[in-house]
Amino acid sequence: MKQLLKLKVNGDDHEVYVDPRRSLAEVLRNDLGLTGTKESCLSGYCGACTVLIDGKAVKSCLIFACQAQGKDILTIEGLAKDGQLHPLQQAFIDHFAIQCGFCTSGMILSAKALLDENPDPSEEEVRNGLIGNICRCTGYRKIVEAVLAAATDKTQAYH
Amino acid sequence: MAEYSVVGKSIPRIDALEKVTGKAQYASDFTLPGMLYGKVVRSPYAHARILNIDTSKAEKLPGVKAVVTNKDIPPIRTGMYLGDMYALPVDDVVRYMGEAVALVAADTPDIAEEAVDLVEVDYEELPAVYDVEEAFSTNPPVIIHPNLAEYEVIAPIIVRRLVPGRPNVPQHFLIRHGDVEKGFKEADVIVENRYSTTPISHCTPETHVSVAWIEGDGTLVVRTATQGIHMIKGALCDVFQLPPTKVEVQSPYTGCGFGSRTWFTTEPLAAILTMKAGGRPVQVKFTREEMFIAGVHRTPVTTYVKDGVKRDGTIVARELTILVEQGAYSNISFMIVKNGCFGAVGTYRIPNFKLDSYGVYTNNPLTGAFRGFGSSELIWALENQIDIIAEKIGMDPVELRMKNFLREGEKDVCGQTTHSIGAEECLKKVAEWIEWDKKPVEEPEVWKRGKGIASGNKYTLAGSEAVCEVKVYPDGFFEIRHGTDEMGQGHNTILAQIAAEEFGVSVEHIKVVQGDTSVCPYDWGSLSSRSCFHAGNALINACKDAKRQMFELASARLGRPADQLETTDGKIRIKGVGGKEMPISELFSGWGKLYASLKGEIIGIGTHHTPIILEDPETGKSDRMVTYYIQGAYAVEVAVNVETGEVKVIKSGACFDMGQPINPKLCEQQMDGGAAMGIGSSLCEEIVLDKGRVVNPSFADYKIPTAAEMPTNENFTSMIAGVPHSEGPYGAKGLGEAVVTPYAPAVSNAVYNAVGVRIKDLPISREKVLKALKEKK
Repeated sequence: MKQLLKLKVNGDDHEVYVDPRRSLAEVLRNDLGLTGTKESCLSGYCGACTVLIDGKAVKSCLIFACQAQGKDILTIEGLAKDGQLHPLQQAFIDHFAIQCGFCTSGMILSAKALLDENPDPSEEEVRNGLIGNICRCTGYRKIVEAVLAAATDKTQAYH
Repeated sequence: MAEYSVVGKSIPRIDALEKVTGKAQYASDFTLPGMLYGKVVRSPYAHARILNIDTSKAEKLPGVKAVVTNKDIPPIRTGMYLGDMYALPVDDVVRYMGEAVALVAADTPDIAEEAVDLVEVDYEELPAVYDVEEAFSTNPPVIIHPNLAEYEVIAPIIVRRLVPGRPNVPQHFLIRHGDVEKGFKEADVIVENRYSTTPISHCTPETHVSVAWIEGDGTLVVRTATQGIHMIKGALCDVFQLPPTKVEVQSPYTGCGFGSRTWFTTEPLAAILTMKAGGRPVQVKFTREEMFIAGVHRTPVTTYVKDGVKRDGTIVARELTILVEQGAYSNISFMIVKNGCFGAVGTYRIPNFKLDSYGVYTNNPLTGAFRGFGSSELIWALENQIDIIAEKIGMDPVELRMKNFLREGEKDVCGQTTHSIGAEECLKKVAEWIEWDKKPVEEPEVWKRGKGIASGNKYTLAGSEAVCEVKVYPDGFFEIRHGTDEMGQGHNTILAQIAAEEFGVSVEHIKVVQGDTSVCPYDWGSLSSRSCFHAGNALINACKDAKRQMFELASARLGRPADQLETTDGKIRIKGVGGKEMPISELFSGWGKLYASLKGEIIGIGTHHTPIILEDPETGKSDRMVTYYIQGAYAVEVAVNVETGEVKVIKSGACFDMGQPINPKLCEQQMDGGAAMGIGSSLCEEIVLDKGRVVNPSFADYKIPTAAEMPTNENFTSMIAGVPHSEGPYGAKGLGEAVVTPYAPAVSNAVYNAVGVRIKDLPISREKVLKALKEKK
């Protein structure tokens, strides 16, 4: 039996009519057209589906969409503001931290949650902070460089 | 290295912005209104006869729109190289656990999954063979393909050889060079060993996925994650007996390939379902579990090697017997039986060489291309072997390799002439970086450190083709169209750089169109590390063609013959200092100046083809079986825990010869990623099989490295030592696969250096190291 869900995503209010068993990842992608959040393992290991819920990194394949009602959901599409990239997004570009791009959304959002909590992490803290995001392309070196560079980028207020 | 304006520069990737904003589209993001969801009914047995399939219950389930069995598909045997399989088992035999038996399409994925459970299949279980040596034997317990001799070879670039008395061997490749018996007699030291590798999974983040539908005019369109849109189009035309005007294949960005998508994956399944469902769009998307079970694995390879060496380090003879496990159907692994052997050919000088490589069927899941195409598996054996030899004769392993590297102009054991071989420089650079002559820092108690190096190569095959088109717009804007596939390597960026260089503009002036057979010209596919070289050369030819046309049009206006003209910055000018010039827009008129006067459009078309010369079946030799070799080396420092057997890679340095790097940072990207795949495949990745069943089909039990398992950035490097190739675009070769091939033996050599044990069967797991340490005591 489908039910009405009210979801706040990237600052916008949405109403969707979905089966309550649907995961947040599925609803974001299929019902709201926000395909930047990826599905890869559907079992919470790879982190490609990472979104932020009330600022915390959450694997959206592991929670029901209805569990996210009443919360602030941030997907990759909501990160840039008024045409200005978030420092992490710019750092990923500048430091060549992207190859196929499939892990990129989840990786950037996990990194944002990390930096929001720990604005000046060590390399080890970055590596451990990203342990829930698998990348098969990059070997992580340039991703770690990008996150550390974004941490030192004071040109934008952190949001 | 020559200096260019755009080529050779680390330009930011042109696809980076859309990937960091989530706008980049992948096949798995694609939906159409009314799309159905397809699921696969899979065999629970490794070898069985299908007695009956009853789909009635599934068909009655509300929401089910199509059910397909082997009775619904044309009985055309297919395969990438050998026609040994059907899309669904037309011959009523399943040969591996997980083989597709029937398909369903329904309104939702949940209904489709329920329908799968409602399809009732009666099987008669048959005896199965899982061990490659048993299957290879002259008296195997099971003959998996009794009609093997009737199967047709599909591609013309294969010389097929069956082995009388070995009924599970679909292919045998040999090399005979010199006289190994004579060579072994001349040797001072003989070293014989057996090595093996385990199947591993590509773990591409995007699983296999296609959406297929039939347009109003009857065209079958398949949007898919693939490595070869034209290859898939051609295969769909063959299997469904459709003309090329009635099939199109689209592939936007793809979430990795690594060889997992070098032929059919979900495309024929989605196509069959859309045909059954009246042309409605159908998506077939593999779950992660299905990727582990029904995606191809890296070929497990067993290598027997016997080497004869002189005390001064000269390798005088090498004999190899290689078993390449194909799994239940030969797929692309049929080609690995031959091409996988080139890992033993392209780097070292060996005056007496005998090689026999056999493909072997088993009732295990399919094996196939995996970044390296057999080279990693063979070099695993050879680069362990050369360190063993070094110790036996008391020679430094770096020195031993340097002594035996081929030199420019020398012929290798297959008779190819060596050209562009940076093996020596690569090895020298990594050895310097790791401070090879210094012992590693001693750690207290349980962790022992060791250093190891290994050299490796990867060829790019001969026999493939590429076409590119470039359209000229006014004032320095150009559109290029290529047919190869972007799965992360950065093809779009490097091709934009090449076009920018050719026209004297920046990459911002280049639009790149890819991933659609209805608009993109033919390309063989993103395999064999070939795209930069072949598409790059085709693009240069296309640019030359476009410039010739432009200059012919401009010639009258500038009052000079076409061959005295050149272009940069959107202008055409007379070569030399201070001549007349004109903007390209003067050649255009019409709406938006989109009409090239008198000509209509200025479109350059170029192609590049490296013809293959098939080998002499008696010797395995030919003047041109490969286009080039990419060479490289790794140096690693490991720490081994003598109480738990755990191995950690502490330092990792790469250096590769990719010819002229078109974009150095993109080359680093490949090496960085290759090292991670190397660490995973050396230490922890393993598809565990139990009587044909994949025991660990999930990331819970199949481990790949995370950021925390990699060396720190300070202890990690990727270096470039390119040797320009005379036939390459600006001297470039390729890089994508070579970056994995030497890794595992470098780790193995380092473990031996640390604790004196050598694991010869990948992976170098904790259990194996601990067991070996205990046995050593």
